[in-house]
Amino acid sequence: MRVISKENFAQFVNSLIKDGSLNVVGVKAKGDKFAFGPLESASELRMDYDVTLLPPKKYFFPQRETLVTYNVGKSFSAKSPSEIKPMVLVGVHPYDIVALLHMDEIFSETKSDPYYFEKRKASIIIGVNIQKMSKWCFAPYMGSATVEYGYDLMLTDVGNRYVINIGSEKGEKLLDKYAKNVTDALARDTQLVGQKKREVMMMSQQKLDFPTELIPEMLTKFYTESSFWEKHSEKCLACGSCVLVCPTCYCFDVKDNPDLSLEQGERVRIWDGCLLEDFAKVASGENFRATRPTRYRHRYFKKGKYLYDRFGFISCVGCGRCSSNCLPDIASPVNLFNDMYHESVNYGQVTTVSTPDIKIQTEGNIDYVPKLATIIRKQPMTAMETLFEIKLDDGLVLGHKPGQFVELSVFGIGEAPISISSPPTKKETFELCVRKLGNVTTKVHSLKIGDKVGIRGPFGTGFDTESLKGKDLLFVAGGLGLAPLRSFFNYVLDNRKDYGQVTLLYGCKEPKELLFADELLALSKRSDVDFMPTVDRCPETEAWTGNTGVITTLIPQIKIDPEKTYAVICGPPIMYKFVIADLKKRSVPDDHIIMSLERRMKCGVGKCGHCQINQIYVCKDGPVFNYSKIKGVPEAL
Amino acid sequence: MKPKAAFFDFAGCEGDQLQIANLEEDLLALLGQIEVVSFREVMKEHSDNYDIAFVEGSCTRLQDEDRLRQIRKNAKIVVAIGSCAAIGGINSLKNYKDLDAVKKTVYGENARLFDSYAARAIDAVIPVDAYVYGCPIDREDFLQVVKSLLLGKKPDTPTYPVCVECKKNENVCAFERGQYCVGPVTRAGCNSCCVNEGTICWGCRGLVDNPNENSHKEVLIKYGQTVDDAINKFRLYFGWQEAKR
Amino acid sequence: MKNSNVEVNVHHVTRVEGHGNISVKIKDGIVERCEWSIPEAPRFFEAMVVGRSWYELHHVTSRICGICSIGHTLASLKATESALGVTISDQDLKLRKLALHAENLQSHILHLGFLVLPDLMGVGSVIPLASTNLAEVKIVLKLHRTANEMSNLICGRTTHPQRLIPGGFSKIPSMKELAALRDKLQDSIPNLQTVAELFKSLSHKLPNFKRETEFIALTDSNEYALYDGKLGSSDTASAPVKDYLAYTNEYIVPQSTAKWAKHVRDSYMVGALARFNLNHDRLSPMAKKTAATFNLSPVCYNPFMNSIAQLVEVVHSVEDSIRLINELEATGLNTQPDYNKPEIKVKAGTGVGAVEVPRGILFHDYTYNDKGVCTKANCIIPTNQNHANIQLDMNALVPQIAEKPQKEIELTLEMLVRAYDPCISCSTHVTKIN
Repeated sequence: MRVISKENFAQFVNSLIKDGSLNVVGVKAKGDKFAFGPLESASELRMDYDVTLLPPKKYFFPQRETLVTYNVGKSFSAKSPSEIKPMVLVGVHPYDIVALLHMDEIFSETKSDPYYFEKRKASIIIGVNIQKMSKWCFAPYMGSATVEYGYDLMLTDVGNRYVINIGSEKGEKLLDKYAKNVTDALARDTQLVGQKKREVMMMSQQKLDFPTELIPEMLTKFYTESSFWEKHSEKCLACGSCVLVCPTCYCFDVKDNPDLSLEQGERVRIWDGCLLEDFAKVASGENFRATRPTRYRHRYFKKGKYLYDRFGFISCVGCGRCSSNCLPDIASPVNLFNDMYHESVNYGQVTTVSTPDIKIQTEGNIDYVPKLATIIRKQPMTAMETLFEIKLDDGLVLGHKPGQFVELSVFGIGEAPISISSPPTKKETFELCVRKLGNVTTKVHSLKIGDKVGIRGPFGTGFDTESLKGKDLLFVAGGLGLAPLRSFFNYVLDNRKDYGQVTLLYGCKEPKELLFADELLALSKRSDVDFMPTVDRCPETEAWTGNTGVITTLIPQIKIDPEKTYAVICGPPIMYKFVIADLKKRSVPDDHIIMSLERRMKCGVGKCGHCQINQIYVCKDGPVFNYSKIKGVPEAL
Repeated sequence: MKPKAAFFDFAGCEGDQLQIANLEEDLLALLGQIEVVSFREVMKEHSDNYDIAFVEGSCTRLQDEDRLRQIRKNAKIVVAIGSCAAIGGINSLKNYKDLDAVKKTVYGENARLFDSYAARAIDAVIPVDAYVYGCPIDREDFLQVVKSLLLGKKPDTPTYPVCVECKKNENVCAFERGQYCVGPVTRAGCNSCCVNEGTICWGCRGLVDNPNENSHKEVLIKYGQTVDDAINKFRLYFGWQEAKR
Repeated sequence: MKNSNVEVNVHHVTRVEGHGNISVKIKDGIVERCEWSIPEAPRFFEAMVVGRSWYELHHVTSRICGICSIGHTLASLKATESALGVTISDQDLKLRKLALHAENLQSHILHLGFLVLPDLMGVGSVIPLASTNLAEVKIVLKLHRTANEMSNLICGRTTHPQRLIPGGFSKIPSMKELAALRDKLQDSIPNLQTVAELFKSLSHKLPNFKRETEFIALTDSNEYALYDGKLGSSDTASAPVKDYLAYTNEYIVPQSTAKWAKHVRDSYMVGALARFNLNHDRLSPMAKKTAATFNLSPVCYNPFMNSIAQLVEVVHSVEDSIRLINELEATGLNTQPDYNKPEIKVKAGTGVGAVEVPRGILFHDYTYNDKGVCTKANCIIPTNQNHANIQLDMNALVPQIAEKPQKEIELTLEMLVRAYDPCISCSTHVTKIN
């Protein structure tokens, strides 16, 4: 520990500013509030602040950031800032430092975000212990009122001087280079710092009536208590304030921004929020969290349960920003959890504390830059669906597993997740069955052979082709659901002798909507596959000799050996419940039921939050799921 | 071949067309993508052969309806620009008054000479393909809509309220400054420009699709407005939208 | 007599704000009909603001016009402040003067470059000029951009300026920003000279027409009045602004949804030419020089010279803005905003606010009850005041050009209307008749 007088500290900051090679930001007054901003002089610093409007996360995960620049038909290139000037942040409170530690783990889990980390690495954090606490702050309850690491330097105000805790070599070097008259701390300084930290623990005007360890289990008990969530969210304006000011929120959206030439542009990521109405809406118009209570509930679950199960921390640092920014006053976690705790007396109090099994690993960086690919074949199949065969440029090979998906980019329009429809047996190219629905897919339909697109991926879990060898496979496909199943189904046909009985049930609305019609015709002639199509209805003008009725009408007609049979399902959201119910009637065990789900997937790597179903990221933990693992997930089916 | 564009104005202040004329250098770049065949404010020539029609101003008279229907017939795409055309705008303030009384007040015995009915958004008369909200429109938003139409994609107009942009811009909330703001129920897309300038969001871009109006009126009252003031506030720009519900 | 039968029917004159029609019929050399009419949809602003509160009126009345929003907002604020007994600081006064300069610059440059220049260059709009005279068009755009940036800095936005509030400003620019603006204005002077030279080379195309009429504008003994002043006239003594009704005398004519006005003659003119005629010797030095190069001197009765008067005002606005910024720098800038100024005490009252907007003198007259709610409003728009003058000018001009080819008559009459720089949709909200 060292000590520096306040005067010398001001000089230290001024010499940092004077050195043009550093970007010095600190807490300044903004009206009656405070915000981090560029410092022109140390006199602007307000180290006695209570809380900033936005957390310092904005420097590492900015409101708007260019990921990729593109040039139509020519290239995609990663956009990094021209030069990352080292940044010094002065006056960061412990709860914001803890929040950055949360973000570090979140942004490096599975795949690491290079944009976030290059800024993190180039920054120096000078923290300051809390002197004033906002009335909404409950950091002491969340263990983030003081912090022992995560900073390069930590200051404690003890009157006319600061006591400095050195947190890193980087911090020490900074001090040595720019500060004068820094002395070693004395014993009394150690005592003063201890006293100050204890004072901070007593500053909170909020009171949590129970230990925070109970939160995850309590939440689990309350998931289905709709009246609780309706009561609390009744006044919600869906304004997103609570999540946009939160230091641990990280959901984002990705958009393409062409310039007026329409030939060039950039792909940007911007902050998004799960409280906003269209957060979980997909191109077909279906919104998986359409009501205020479901969105409101999701935020608490993400912070208090889903991230807890994944990382072992409750992802809230108690800064109080959400509470103070909520106009109808419904965002306070303290109020909500206290209410929940007192109501839980009626449901049996929670006494157990869950200890999740955490496995955090990183395998390389997220690649936000698509690879160039060419359309080499285009085959319209129905009025709305066209099959595209695509070849990656530069001799690259996709190397996918059946059941995975890619993010398909069209320059200037955007990116859409499309399931891969062909098996990996054919290496050089792959097929995508694209339904014309939203911006990207509509534009893709107008492209011609030879046109360029962008491909990222493959993403997601695939079907476990190995462990299913020797088993009887029952494929149940509804409508467009045939497209992803085909990647597995055709793989099975390519390796027919490795699998037992193979049955395909395929249903769509009308005969003219059948996909892959000629392949299905060939299939119906094979003796080693049982193929049964059905249509919901057949208009008089069309000829149809197959079954008429919804797909579940086929299930009673087939032979199923519950021990050996595995069902592989994909179709519109409404289909799953009914198919599963009918399969259960035939005694098919839960873990013999495999399904592929769809959600709005933007980043493809479990970061942007859009595809989240309760604690699961469809893009990363799926889209292929075993029913036994998700039957307890309420938002899934 | 560049698509042909034409500009039309009804009952409005022409501020939106001025915003377009004020695109400065971007105007030249825009003219590289579209051919303007009719823009009465800046050019003499006029042609009825156009693909995209930009319409500013509300429909306030029966005779306006015929003109609107003709425009709809001629154009492939009709874009309502500005709040008056898109949501009725400030013109709809008069809808709350007794129209005959208003006409008599302003024109006296000659009131019968002046034809007028409740001001309305143009989509009350013709189907509209795209909207650029705002009073006046935001230039970047306008360009975004035009670029989207040229690229064949749906314009990226937010369904969330202005608070999102205000928070991203790190503004001190207007309520904290002792002001009464309708940002929480107003459609974003303006980058919270008015709150950035130290004043409130007045609601010029219209209500979001599913506003929680009661909640917001309660917020206004909680912070000190009277019930009448809160209701009156919603009439400034939301008059036509509220009447439709 | 050649061409003794001519019909000119211009429906919705182009390159003017709002909708106006010109209808002329000459039969056997006799002018049978000569009519300037306004079919613009009335919007009833005076009725709309009744029942709205003192802190809202400026926001609503700004929407009277997209081009002179700053002017409407300022006139509105002056009326409200006068009614409620609010005074603004010296600093805010200077900033509001800068706001009016910004508006004048923006509007005049747009008018000269986009609306008038095409006629002088013989084309239908500025768009073909972007190919034939790209350099000049770019200079006009650059000047226009500077004017817009000035509006943005002082007012937040050119159209419907947010920063202008009762009592002052919701946000004050920093001295650094004002100094940068000053540099931009300074740098624009050579471009202004280029534009002046361009217009000088084309000025012979402006018709040499003259009709004596009355000119009305704000007037002040110390400065070229735009923001403050007394009500001045070329024919009578000046009067306080609150006596405006005696000057404006609005009345209805059947062919027009906008009303007409008259004072001591059958019509009068407002606008840049009127201001020039009344206040010429208070122009800035460079502006005076510019006027001299065009041989423009008071009293000029040629309405076509209104455009040249606008050019002179552009030069004045640039020079005077630089002076105002210098003064602000000398006294120091207080960047504390004026919203929720504690001094505004709501009470019943009546107030009149008058400012000079690009097109002429504008009046807003409000009456509030003791709750600060507006019970009565009256707005007199400059273009309203010009309509009668336009009609009489046309009556005098048509016989003089009756023998020209039909297209030329049409163009000349359109140029006459354009010279006034009318803002027709503004003029159709109008006052009560008493």
